[in-house]
Amino acid sequence: MLRLVASRLLGTASREVPSRPLQILPRLYHENVIDHYNNPRNVGSFDKNDPNVGTGLVGAPACGDVMKLQIKIDEESGKIVDACFKTFGCGSAIASSSVATEWVKGKSMDEVLTIKNTEIAKHLSLPPVKLHCSMLAEDAIKAAVKDAEAKRAKMNGSSKAADVN
Amino acid sequence: MASRLPFLRRISKLLKAPPSTPLRSLRHSLALGFLLPQPPTPDVSPRFFFSSRSICSGPLNLPQDSQGPAPIDYRSVLSEDEFHGLANSTIHDLQEKLEEYGDIVELDGFDVDYGNEVLTLKLGALGTYVMNKQTPNRQIWLSSPLSGPSRFDWDHNVQAWVYRRTKANLLKLLESELEQLCGDRIKWPEQL
Repeated sequence: MLRLVASRLLGTASREVPSRPLQILPRLYHENVIDHYNNPRNVGSFDKNDPNVGTGLVGAPACGDVMKLQIKIDEESGKIVDACFKTFGCGSAIASSSVATEWVKGKSMDEVLTIKNTEIAKHLSLPPVKLHCSMLAEDAIKAAVKDAEAKRAKMNGSSKAADVN
Repeated sequence: MASRLPFLRRISKLLKAPPSTPLRSLRHSLALGFLLPQPPTPDVSPRFFFSSRSICSGPLNLPQDSQGPAPIDYRSVLSEDEFHGLANSTIHDLQEKLEEYGDIVELDGFDVDYGNEVLTLKLGALGTYVMNKQTPNRQIWLSSPLSGPSRFDWDHNVQAWVYRRTKANLLKLLESELEQLCGDRIKWPEQL
């Protein structure tokens, strides 16, 4: 019996919609989540030492989710020209950060700070228990912007100290 | 070290846990700690991005060391036992109160459920609340149909669970949201 359950658990460690957990509640992923999971957009990494790259790293493995979201800023316009992410976590977390990288491209840093976790959650139809993933994605965006702004301030030789909250 | 055990032995160890040890809900993926060494799909150049399954895990068997970036070391804030004691009593008291509340307020689809240390409050068409403990952070996490996700830390000074960003108090938040949603005011006992 142990082996059966173990193999069933192991069987879920593949890239498919997960089979039912031992709990009774049926959990279904919205097709947007599955889409982002199967075809993740913008997975990758920029050079974090690049002065035009802002890196936001949020979460902790012990909690189950870690997201690294990076944005590339255009020096002159200050807009985000590219974004990428790497996420360790559940399907909803991956989808949330993937959506985040899509939404920040082409926007200014001020604009992306207005992206709310509720919008991400709505777009992915996240169930209540997964709303925290969308919040983490919002936090990742904010952290990346903060880092980018700090770098720009340093670069401009401004004496204003970077606001690290 | 638990992290050195082969994968299968880990699983069977967890499954052998006494029946009183609850399995966490999928959200508490401490099991991911031992999924880390697993390589991603071998035919692709190494990618940090691997989607790991959140597997139910017995929380007490796994090492508590935080393996990655964490801005605050929450273990120094509150010991785990203390945290469990506080959080459990809050959640259980809430559960009782909510069950009584369900009798007062006539709402179609009202349901309070507590399983795997997760408290789920269904308010029919009005939405669902999910509350659970997030032990590594010593937090109670709440998901609300009105205010979305929030994470409450125990504040010694006011002896209450407070969400740092908005300064919201857990019980007050629930009180006001439930009143907003259902109409009847829920009464908390003072000692809650």
